[in-house]
Amino acid sequence: MSYLEVKDLKIHFPIKGGLFSRTVGHIKAVDGVSFSLDKGKTYGLVGESGSGKTTTGRSIIGLNNITSGQVLFDGVDITNIKRAKSDVRKDIQMIFQDPYSSLNPKKRVIDIVSEPLRNFENLTRKEERKRVQELMELVGLSPESILKYPHEFSGGQRQRIGIARAIALKPKLIIADEPVSALDVSVQAQVLNFMKDIQKELDLTYLFISHDLGVIKHMCDQIGIMYKGRYVEEGTADDIFFNPQHIYTKRLVAAIPDIDPNKREEKRKFREEVKAEYEKSYNDYFDEEGLAYKLQPVSDTHLVALPEKG
Amino acid sequence: MIKLGKKTEAGALQAQTPIKSPSGFSIIWRELVRDKVALISLIFLILIVSFVYGISLILDQDEIVKVDLLSIYQPPNDQFILGTDYGGRDIFGQLIIGTRNSLSIAILVTLMTGIIGIAYGLISGYFGGHIDNMMMRVLDFFNILPFTMIVIAFVAIVPKYSVTTFSLIMTGFLWMGIARLIRSKALQEKELDYIQASKTLGSSNFKIIFTQLLPNCSSLIIVTMTLNLAANIGLESGLSFLGFGFPESTPSLGTLLSYATNPQTLEFRWWIWVPASILILLLMLSINNVGQALKRATDARQRRG
Amino acid sequence: MWKFSVRRTLIMIPQLILLSIIIFVLAQLMPGDALSGQIGPDVDPARLDEIREEMGWNDPWYEQYGRWVGGVVKGDFGDSFRFKMPVSELIGQRIMNTVWLSIVTLILTYLIAIPLGIVSGRYNDTWKDQLVTGYTYVGFATPLFIFALVMLWLFGFKLGWFPTSGSVTPGLVSGTFEHFMSKVYHLILPAFSMALITTYSTIQYLRNEIVDTKQKDFIITARAKGASEKRVYNRHILRNSLLPIAAFFGYEITGLIGGSIFIENIFGFPGMGQLLVESITLRDYSVLTATTLLFGVASIVGALISDIILSIVDPRIRIK
Repeated sequence: MSYLEVKDLKIHFPIKGGLFSRTVGHIKAVDGVSFSLDKGKTYGLVGESGSGKTTTGRSIIGLNNITSGQVLFDGVDITNIKRAKSDVRKDIQMIFQDPYSSLNPKKRVIDIVSEPLRNFENLTRKEERKRVQELMELVGLSPESILKYPHEFSGGQRQRIGIARAIALKPKLIIADEPVSALDVSVQAQVLNFMKDIQKELDLTYLFISHDLGVIKHMCDQIGIMYKGRYVEEGTADDIFFNPQHIYTKRLVAAIPDIDPNKREEKRKFREEVKAEYEKSYNDYFDEEGLAYKLQPVSDTHLVALPEKG
Repeated sequence: MIKLGKKTEAGALQAQTPIKSPSGFSIIWRELVRDKVALISLIFLILIVSFVYGISLILDQDEIVKVDLLSIYQPPNDQFILGTDYGGRDIFGQLIIGTRNSLSIAILVTLMTGIIGIAYGLISGYFGGHIDNMMMRVLDFFNILPFTMIVIAFVAIVPKYSVTTFSLIMTGFLWMGIARLIRSKALQEKELDYIQASKTLGSSNFKIIFTQLLPNCSSLIIVTMTLNLAANIGLESGLSFLGFGFPESTPSLGTLLSYATNPQTLEFRWWIWVPASILILLLMLSINNVGQALKRATDARQRRG
Repeated sequence: MWKFSVRRTLIMIPQLILLSIIIFVLAQLMPGDALSGQIGPDVDPARLDEIREEMGWNDPWYEQYGRWVGGVVKGDFGDSFRFKMPVSELIGQRIMNTVWLSIVTLILTYLIAIPLGIVSGRYNDTWKDQLVTGYTYVGFATPLFIFALVMLWLFGFKLGWFPTSGSVTPGLVSGTFEHFMSKVYHLILPAFSMALITTYSTIQYLRNEIVDTKQKDFIITARAKGASEKRVYNRHILRNSLLPIAAFFGYEITGLIGGSIFIENIFGFPGMGQLLVESITLRDYSVLTATTLLFGVASIVGALISDIILSIVDPRIRIK
């Protein structure tokens, strides 16, 4: 039984033009994406910038309008989440990419973290303060700092504040949109491990959006690879990293840096081989418009976008 | 800027006293004090405002506007420090009451245009798209109309003309400037993640606009309203000068100047119009100075250090 | 470019309709009508009612509006009951004075603004720049009418260099050289007074534009390639900065109208601005509606022209 199910999701943005700004065409940011998430697991959505991964995540929580398709959460249709009942809205929260712009610079931490509480729960000032302090402690920040402003914190600390805000309502699903891309590499690991910790603690399900396969490998149980608004491959972490089938995935996986300096030359050769293969077989994997084909199953868990046989 | 680890006693103290954000009022204040011209302007303003409002408490407006035919057009003397006008009325008294009236209406109009303009700009910028498009068309139309002309035309038709109707008419055609500035600020801000975050946290649009967006426009609002205040003093006195502002029974800086439309007064009776002119100039210059200093203070690139 | 121009022109149509409706409603709300001035002991009120009926003043508003717009399009604004002549004729006498005042002011504005703006922008943060900036600062804070009063007092009354009212010395025959010179003579002081105050915005714009352009990569490249300072300014910076200013003249119309209302009243200059104020004090509503309509249309068309020229000069604004 899947927890979050996305069925044939399409998000098209109109292109305006002509004398009266009529819609003359569409940009297909997301073009027929389906996937499903299991409870308590982390699902990674990978792709280059412009591949539609962020748009997909944002549309689930209602920041982008869905053109067609369906989103089911715990069996409830939340395609139009803006009109959904408030308890569903409480259950899905988001962590943003940029910890600098995602916190209102004019607000104190207590006001930032308690914003969701004020919207959904009737707490007294005192209770609210206590809850915020607990949350701050939970994310590893000093409970005394709730009267500070965001600019008094470092990037990693700010992202923790963002996480505290996201978990304030005890959500079930968290959409994490590149949560560590804006952070220093040294801080990235801290935040990622911390996210894993609270996942266990609060029984969270993550939809983890990233362009960084290293981060995805560290975090995710299941992975979907997107390219130009479509899926090219989906599978478990093992499927994707040890048995990539699509040439695009192969190239992505080959590009993951290896720490061992002895393998550097080997790695470089391998990368070039994959590149040669990519160029040679590009037409076999993409249609005339350069888009991916429909997904075909290669095993129980593993789906690859390949032209239909025959 | 970054503070790590557990708080010491000093830290706990800090947590109790609010710490200002980087564009907070303390920095603005510091900039203002550092800017000598602005500081002098501010002190001058405080002095003049307290003087004018203080003195006008003991002055009797009815007494001042009472016609005294025995003392028409007296040059400055012991009894009348600044002489008298064609009705034998004391110019000094009219100057004090007039400055008070001019300042009061300028402040009132600035506040009213501010409220309308801010709300209009925030809504237009936040929602964007078709709503923004339509609201901007309306704004453009108001903006194109020559202000003096349209206000004069409205003043001419209002049946029960009073200070209230005058300020309402002025407000009706002065909200566009601040609305446009706030709108472009709102357009920038709404793309930032903290607004998106608020949406995912279940805040209503109304709440986001007024509790998230508005505080981030505060420095722009303060600067614009200060500069508008100076402009409104000029506009009011201009309209009163033409005879379409304050009624003559309510002296303002503009009504004093309107005596100068009489060539005799302009040429030979300087005491009637020169003090009011100087006062208008000083008021507008010093308010502008303060406004420009605030502008520099809120714009980090222009900050003097 | 065509798309923008056509779209921009289409936007103007509702603006014009809205303006005409506002002015029509204003005219309807004005206390009394053209006949109320004629009420007297020897006039029979019943006869006035008859006239009102004949003139169609009791018809529904949209019929009256239609008739009024129909007349306006043909240049018929009705009769002025104070001046006892058709409004169009009255305006005809005045409008050229205002047009000339505006043109001379505009020319003076640019003549002052361009050299000052260039000096201020080119030598920014030197004493020259500070001088110019100080001037724009004071110009920004000084209300036009006070400055005009001081100019009139100083140059008109105290020094007696210029006439203190009128647009031409009475008695001169139109078309002669003396008549022309007299007109110019009467224009100089009002136009200068307005130009000296209104020019500050153009100076500021030009200065900021030049200071901004100076730091752009293509200027640095031009310098690095060894282009002379003169060539950098004439070929690169000024071309980029002056064109938008030239395009602003349409927007200036709104400001010029506001200014002319003050200037014409202070300098006793018989133009449209003075007519507007007179029409209100005399309660001559047909003249008032005609002047406001003309001023409004001039502003709307001015903005249209500037928008279109700017869209050609500066493609960035087309995006919005």
